[in-house]
Amino acid sequence: MTGRLAPAAAVTAAAAVPLLGRDYYATLMLPFFGYSIALLGLNLLFGTTGLLSFGHALFLAVGGYTAAYLGSTLGVRSLEAMLAVALVVAAVIAVPVGWLCVRYVKIYFGMLTLAFGMLFYSFLYKFYALTGGDEGMPVARPSLLGQGFGELDKTAYLIGPYYYYSLALCLVAAVVMWRIVRSPLGLSLRAIRENADKAEYVGVRVRRYRFYAFVIAAVFGAAGGVLLVVPTGLAAPTLAYWTHSGNLVFMLLLGGFGHFFGPVVGAFVFIFLQDQVMSVTQYWRFVFGAVLAAVVIFLPHGLMGLLARRADA
Amino acid sequence: MTPLLEARDVVKRYGDVQALSGVTMALRGGEFVSIIGPNGAGKTTLVNVLTGLLRPTSGRVVFKGRDVAGVGPVRLAALGMARSFQLVNVFPALTVAETLAVPALARLGRGARPFASLARDAEVADSVAEVAELFGLAEKLPRLARTLPQGDKKLLDVASAFALRPEVILMDEPTSGVSTRDKTAIMETLVQAARRIGVKGIIQVEHDMDIVFAYSDRIVALHQGRVLADATPDAIRADDEVVATVLGRPR
Amino acid sequence: MTQALNLVLGGVFHAAALFLVAAGLQLVFGVQKILNLACGSFYALGAYTGIAAVNAALAAGVPAPLFLPVLVASGLALGVLGPPLERLLRTIYDRDEAFQLLLTFALVLMLEDVIRFVWGAAPYQMAGVYLTYGQVRLGTATVPVYNFIVIAAGLAIAAGMGLLLTRSRFGGIVRAAAENRGMAQALGVDMGRISTRVFTLGLVLGTVGGALVIPAGAAVNEMGIELIVEAFAVVVIGGLGSMRGAFVGALVVGVLKAVAIAVYPEAEMLAVYLIVIAVLLFRPTGLFARATA
Repeated sequence: MTGRLAPAAAVTAAAAVPLLGRDYYATLMLPFFGYSIALLGLNLLFGTTGLLSFGHALFLAVGGYTAAYLGSTLGVRSLEAMLAVALVVAAVIAVPVGWLCVRYVKIYFGMLTLAFGMLFYSFLYKFYALTGGDEGMPVARPSLLGQGFGELDKTAYLIGPYYYYSLALCLVAAVVMWRIVRSPLGLSLRAIRENADKAEYVGVRVRRYRFYAFVIAAVFGAAGGVLLVVPTGLAAPTLAYWTHSGNLVFMLLLGGFGHFFGPVVGAFVFIFLQDQVMSVTQYWRFVFGAVLAAVVIFLPHGLMGLLARRADA
Repeated sequence: MTPLLEARDVVKRYGDVQALSGVTMALRGGEFVSIIGPNGAGKTTLVNVLTGLLRPTSGRVVFKGRDVAGVGPVRLAALGMARSFQLVNVFPALTVAETLAVPALARLGRGARPFASLARDAEVADSVAEVAELFGLAEKLPRLARTLPQGDKKLLDVASAFALRPEVILMDEPTSGVSTRDKTAIMETLVQAARRIGVKGIIQVEHDMDIVFAYSDRIVALHQGRVLADATPDAIRADDEVVATVLGRPR
Repeated sequence: MTQALNLVLGGVFHAAALFLVAAGLQLVFGVQKILNLACGSFYALGAYTGIAAVNAALAAGVPAPLFLPVLVASGLALGVLGPPLERLLRTIYDRDEAFQLLLTFALVLMLEDVIRFVWGAAPYQMAGVYLTYGQVRLGTATVPVYNFIVIAAGLAIAAGMGLLLTRSRFGGIVRAAAENRGMAQALGVDMGRISTRVFTLGLVLGTVGGALVIPAGAAVNEMGIELIVEAFAVVVIGGLGSMRGAFVGALVVGVLKAVAIAVYPEAEMLAVYLIVIAVLLFRPTGLFARATA
């Protein structure tokens, strides 16, 4: 297979986009970076460990609102601080939620995670005084590595320094996840996915490792969430809604869950396809529903699965 | 010599059904014990209790001096007991090498390391190579478990239990689903592997009487949840009652 | 006191619709082992179609008191969607649960836009027939008779479902198929036909539920995806696969929501989620779970 070449080419292409003068596409790449990071986490939970969460969006919302709160309410402008705090908050929330959820499998796990996601949504929506309710919470423009870039207007900031920061963060996240997947924990998680009972019999602490996967996924989700809210400047409760979680799973399936690059491919195709479809019709959900149905029925291993098969042939 | 593993007066009730009624048996170091009995005699229940999967209604299960009733498979693996199952159980999408690496990691306490490199772990690699070689799977290390023929899957399943380097192994019908010709080959492999790895005691549940008589140091015959006899193969052969209930026609 | 009664009645009214949707969910899960995320979408579809049918009937001169039969009929008529949708789900029966959930999610997305396409994004209201049957005084509060009719209908359908499942041949087959699909097939049960019928029944329960409850309010685009969470809460509390569980769970959720809204509006759904979490902690299989679910 192309191995190192394809990812390197992709990164180079991504780095070149802002320089090509097509600002619109550059701004479209920004949510792509955020979703990629969040999906790397979901892929560990679902692709590697076999736990389908319908509440992953909860952690994206945690990341988004943490960034908003730090920036707008506390006046902390450093993106590094926002990320660090978001990761910690996500981990803190993931511990009790994960501990509870990993005691269940399959459908119950899906339902529980959906419920927790909606619980957070309700909290965000109803507690107006704290969260801004349905209006959301504004997100102040963060400084990057100490630089404020105050002289740049919003667009120049977003497709300039912020773009490359996001790209770099995405790369870092990918490298970290690569290590995790190739580690002993990664193998243990795959064993759990393949046959949880047998895994126990060969000494794997199934519940505990599932819990680890959940927390790691949550942390990646929050990092993605932070990146997502900066371009729009708003953290809204819909971030946590269950259909947002559903879309995350959709993206993962589209790209190919279980494959390392599934998340990235899925996020990319979803975002650009959505953009194209939305410019043609307002009924993009219908189109996407049909696409999802087609993928589930005909292409269950996603686009990466298709590529992998071609490579083996 | 104190037994490695013993059941003391184990009773197991499921509602109105009494699966085990006061079973007492022991496994001593260096022994190969077979549990035999007709279907429904309680063999699998006994093994489940011995391996900490089921809590006995009353009675004790002691492993290396510790009470292990209902302890659960992970804890038991850590304590040095492993088991294999009658129905073949594999990790379909993992390779043979990966399948053998999982128990090795568990044994070495490294199963949870998120940033260590698995590929560069020499101890794990050595363990995988050793166990694979003992079970004749060395050539097949890169193959996916689901692509293996049934006999190899069975070997892999048992091999992964051995990869824990347990002191005691319980095997539930290790030669079931295998052709008669291959049964002896598998048993020889198992016994050799046990010796090389340092397994101190083996218990098996087995229906094939030729295998049972050929390999056992002692045979425990169960009938309707009770121990009918617990003796050497020769003594069992001479015991008419056992022969009638378990073995069928008198020889 | 009467305020409290009024409150509870409101909760029970909502619970009736919730029960119908949850019953549909349980049926489909029991036989096909699929958790249908689109059950909320069926509820929404029933509501919108019901409004359209009643408004059209009234415009055509049908007398107001007959709006109820028209409403129910429109819900039942949507049953035609059952067979083709079931056919679609049949393509992935043997696959991993994740795929089944995702296919029903695809349905959710598609149905959402179908509704938006046909009826638009603004709230859709039925002509003012809600009070056609009059109202009843309960102390200081007035409750529309319609509410009692719906509650009675819910009870009747619950009883009917109970009889259907325990006394009829169809019910026996359904329960057998739910217990052990392979065995049922081996005994000659045509799983294809049963699946179609069960799915259609589940769909119709949802659409009728939505139709019955909508005269009290307006139909909005999000009603389907909002209901799903409540339906899940019902199913978790009552136990997956259990009809009795759907009944009790619906009552718990419906009344709890009503009480929560009155006491502490912010905590509306929070109270429900807390019960869900409590049930999962102490009685994870729900109150009436089936051993084979």
